[in-house]
Amino acid sequence: MKRISVLLLLGIFMGTLLSLTGQAIGASSIVVAVDTPPRTMNPHGSDADANLSVMANFFEGLLQRKAPEGNLFPALAVRYEHPDLLTWKLYLRKGVRFHNGNPFTAEDVKFSFERLSNPDVSEFINTGKSIASIDIVDDYTVVIKTKDPIPWFANNLHQIYMMDKESTEARDPGEAEVKPIGTGAYKLVEWVKGSYVKMKANEDYWEGPPLIKNVELRPITESSTRFAALASAQVELVSGVPVELYEKVLENPKLDVITRPARRSIFLALGNKPGSPWKDIRVRKAMYMAINEDEIIEKIMRGHAAPAAQVPDPPTIGYNPEIKRLAYNPELARKLLKEAGYERGFEITLSGPNDRYVQDEKIAEAVAKYLAKVGIKAKLDVKPKSIFFPQVARGELEFYLIGWFDGTFDMGRTYFKLAHSRDAVRGFGGLNGTNFSDPTIDTLLEPTGSIVDREKRKKVLQDLNKMAMMDKIVWIPLHYQQDIYAVQKGKGIKFQPRPDRWIVFKEISK
Amino acid sequence: MDLRPRLTLAMIIYIARRLTQGVVVLLAVSLICFIIFRYAGDPVVTLAGRYATLQEREMVRKAFGLDRPFYIQYTRFIANAAQGNFGKSFVSRVPAFGLIIERFPATVELATSAIFISFVLGVGLGVLVSLKPYALRNRFIMAGSLFNISMPTFLTGILLIMVFAVYLKVLPPFGRGETVTIGFWRTGFLTWSGITHLILPAFTLGMYQLAVLLRLTRAGMREVLTEEYIKTAWAKGLPPMKVIFKHALRNALIPVVTMTGLQFGELIAFSIITETIFQWPGMGNLLLTSIYESDQPVIVTYIMLAALIILSLNIIVDILYAYLNPKIRYD
Amino acid sequence: MTKRFFKSEILHNFFHDPSALVGSFLLVVSILAAIFAPLIAPQNPYDLEKVSLEHFLKPPIWMEGGEGPFLLGTDDQGRGILSTILYGCRTSMTVGFGVVLIAGTFGVTMGLLAGYYGGLLDSLTMRLADTFFSFSTTLMAILMLGLFKERGVLVVIIAICIADWVRYARTMRGSVLEVKEEVYIMAAKATGSGDFRLLLRHLLPNAIPPIFVVIAVDLAVVIMLEATLSFLGVGVPLTEPSLGMMISIGKDYVYAGMWWLVVFPGAALVLLVVGINLFADWLREELNPKIQR
Repeated sequence: MKRISVLLLLGIFMGTLLSLTGQAIGASSIVVAVDTPPRTMNPHGSDADANLSVMANFFEGLLQRKAPEGNLFPALAVRYEHPDLLTWKLYLRKGVRFHNGNPFTAEDVKFSFERLSNPDVSEFINTGKSIASIDIVDDYTVVIKTKDPIPWFANNLHQIYMMDKESTEARDPGEAEVKPIGTGAYKLVEWVKGSYVKMKANEDYWEGPPLIKNVELRPITESSTRFAALASAQVELVSGVPVELYEKVLENPKLDVITRPARRSIFLALGNKPGSPWKDIRVRKAMYMAINEDEIIEKIMRGHAAPAAQVPDPPTIGYNPEIKRLAYNPELARKLLKEAGYERGFEITLSGPNDRYVQDEKIAEAVAKYLAKVGIKAKLDVKPKSIFFPQVARGELEFYLIGWFDGTFDMGRTYFKLAHSRDAVRGFGGLNGTNFSDPTIDTLLEPTGSIVDREKRKKVLQDLNKMAMMDKIVWIPLHYQQDIYAVQKGKGIKFQPRPDRWIVFKEISK
Repeated sequence: MDLRPRLTLAMIIYIARRLTQGVVVLLAVSLICFIIFRYAGDPVVTLAGRYATLQEREMVRKAFGLDRPFYIQYTRFIANAAQGNFGKSFVSRVPAFGLIIERFPATVELATSAIFISFVLGVGLGVLVSLKPYALRNRFIMAGSLFNISMPTFLTGILLIMVFAVYLKVLPPFGRGETVTIGFWRTGFLTWSGITHLILPAFTLGMYQLAVLLRLTRAGMREVLTEEYIKTAWAKGLPPMKVIFKHALRNALIPVVTMTGLQFGELIAFSIITETIFQWPGMGNLLLTSIYESDQPVIVTYIMLAALIILSLNIIVDILYAYLNPKIRYD
Repeated sequence: MTKRFFKSEILHNFFHDPSALVGSFLLVVSILAAIFAPLIAPQNPYDLEKVSLEHFLKPPIWMEGGEGPFLLGTDDQGRGILSTILYGCRTSMTVGFGVVLIAGTFGVTMGLLAGYYGGLLDSLTMRLADTFFSFSTTLMAILMLGLFKERGVLVVIIAICIADWVRYARTMRGSVLEVKEEVYIMAAKATGSGDFRLLLRHLLPNAIPPIFVVIAVDLAVVIMLEATLSFLGVGVPLTEPSLGMMISIGKDYVYAGMWWLVVFPGAALVLLVVGINLFADWLREELNPKIQR
């Protein structure tokens, strides 16, 4: 008897637990899981997409990008003019108020752009420093002059967020790092670091109040835990469904999967140490051909990637459809190595991050295996991004896996950062971690800053791209990642993924 | 013989000495942290942004004082630390101390629940086993305890998740659930969701020393139960519960309690592991994230805080021990 | 006492204690597996030329889709689970015995000197030991690896040793204090043999038996700790085999139903540690005269 009652009690207990783990989420609310936690609530404090994505709900730029294509639309500026190469004249939206009731004016624009240059609070120093002057014409007109011609200046304005001058100056600087006051569609309710960010609708939003009234954003870094949260219906929308669990999500009748080709390309950057075997173009080609990218996509990415032949993706100015991948051909690779005098192979260290891109360290591991099969001994050296990226910036690595996505949709900036010879004074080659330096490329690239005509610009950049990828093998391209989202079915959630992977809640309805 | 505790001069000198030693150890800890610091990763890129130029990176290096000589950075750190200012996190740009303290309640609630579980189960089973060491059931318990000490915490956690969250789907595998804020303290004890979220991590953390406590209790009980006064108590016909709990257990518990007090570092270490597996938003989870991000101010603050807590507890245990036991030599 | 250790009485007890037999069996098997891994493993999972993505995520051979020679299935890089476990045991053993050797030698020496000479040396050493003890080996290792940027087997060994020697030093000191006063040592001193000779010839052999228990217990603790550190991502790097690393890779696939990626390395780890602990238990009871069997 006693045993039966104990079992009964246990059953009731388990039953209650079961009913309580999946709590109901209200109709005008949404709970979303993402893979990376926000680091700060200071809109200029981080240039990582994970952070910009959260900030896009509290703050706005002068322009905005909208789902699904990510095209530019007016936001806090209603229109802009670009009278000469260095000048940008912006007409601001009237009647917009910050969350604290302060009106949005030209003073705030000037303040926000100037704040970008302060290393204490900003990771957009580069943008801040590129500006020569900001002049207030009247309360709703601003003229910004840049030091050099920057054709992609406007393309970047959606992620330069406007802050309230009065309250930001009056508040303790530490408070601006945790309590956002913007003009965005949502106001912060509570941020518990490591647990969640809760926000509520800004009923006075200039585009009209958003449809979803309450948002809970849960960063879950562990991929399997993110899946568990979705499977137990604790969250309704997940960004970053782990590829290894993709089939599981598909199998689940309660879940819908949404995928979209991502804009980020993953590639291998080859060092340029003089005298090293991989300085020889034949060796570079051999390494390229030794890698079975199709198998990487099939086995490691589980089909969730598209092969890449270049760094920029199709919508980017400078993307060249004529560039084709060198086909996988280990025999030819061995032959090329023999020709170059490296029949017995050589040793090289392959570095890469292990917490940045989809399956990053697994891709690196696979690459090392392919290289081993043509006789090249690649020593694997994967590490957290916090250690890896500084090493790239200092140019210490001889061969590494990295990804690139240019929010400006312009290859010009990409090449100035990644391929131009390192030049500390002019600020070029800041992420040219392979110390690549080629006078032809530099001289072709430098004047592109002044080409404003879209077609002309496209042509020049395309030629440049082809030369770098096919003649010089500056990088070995691998693939474009695919973004995978999952939503709970039957809740009427309408969600369109964006190319930049941001989740902007005013674009979601339920 | 008068065994009442007294505060003698020797005692005061002893306390003063222990405190001085504590401060010296703390200084040494901070120095070691800083020496290793100099050879660690470069946070400048994280701070300046991916698109920053080389010049701009140098500017950031200066702004954060990362270009100053080692000893200046160190003395500045000590001077600030004495005022409760441990520097700003490289990653989130807010004071590291605040970041850690914010997560303090989560860790304390997890740790106290774990201690409670391991104490109740460990001591309870220990007593049970000591009474009839050769009964079949107790042999099973002892065999189980062997598996328990042979199972690393992370594996316990994963297996519990596999069974209770993946297959049975009865308990949530991550996070803290709903919390309620009382003053500065955010508690998960007051909501049902908070309690269900606590069960798996608390058991996981409790397991690491359950077997140790069980074995200590069993050994202590076996020794105490053979003592004359217990035999007398049995002979007098006192109720078994009274003999076991009032007379025997009280004496057997002394080493158990001392062990728990002195092994506080273990508890902190295992809470790091548990919090990571269950994504528990506590200090340990923050530490590991900071290690991955090489957010050195946070790591150093964590170490200093852990050292402070551990040393204070040690000194308190030592002093209490000396106070209650006047025969101890103050050396 | 050392002599007693080898007396037949102990051996007799050993062969009549089932848990001691099971324990040492598991231990011997693991040590052999570790030493002869390259010979018995169906494949070398860390030879990049041999491993291929072709064979990735195969289930164990008795399940549908399983294939030889991958008895226990493969992981997501096409490494055989069984082979990786065998190689992982090597790392476990290397770290385990490495720490026992380094921390043990240092700790025993410190304990011996502190116990024998007493005074300032003793109080300094013991104060240091107390501090490390209360920080615990696990916490010290995690924190040290958090500050070091290098990764590798040797780094793990060093990080563990930093606090681990204390176990040996404390036990050794206690043991020395117990045997120090014994008459024959006094006698040896009276005949004028030097300090060094006295320490090495008389004190060390007589005070060392309790250290055997510490070694056995420590081996178990260190092997678990190495797995934990590698699991957390601060231990051995991806390119070196480790049971903890295997479980860490496998946990991402648990929800996909691929239990073999966690269960086999987990079981191997637990059996290995159980074996050592069984042996340690037997040794402890055998060397402790206080507990009547």
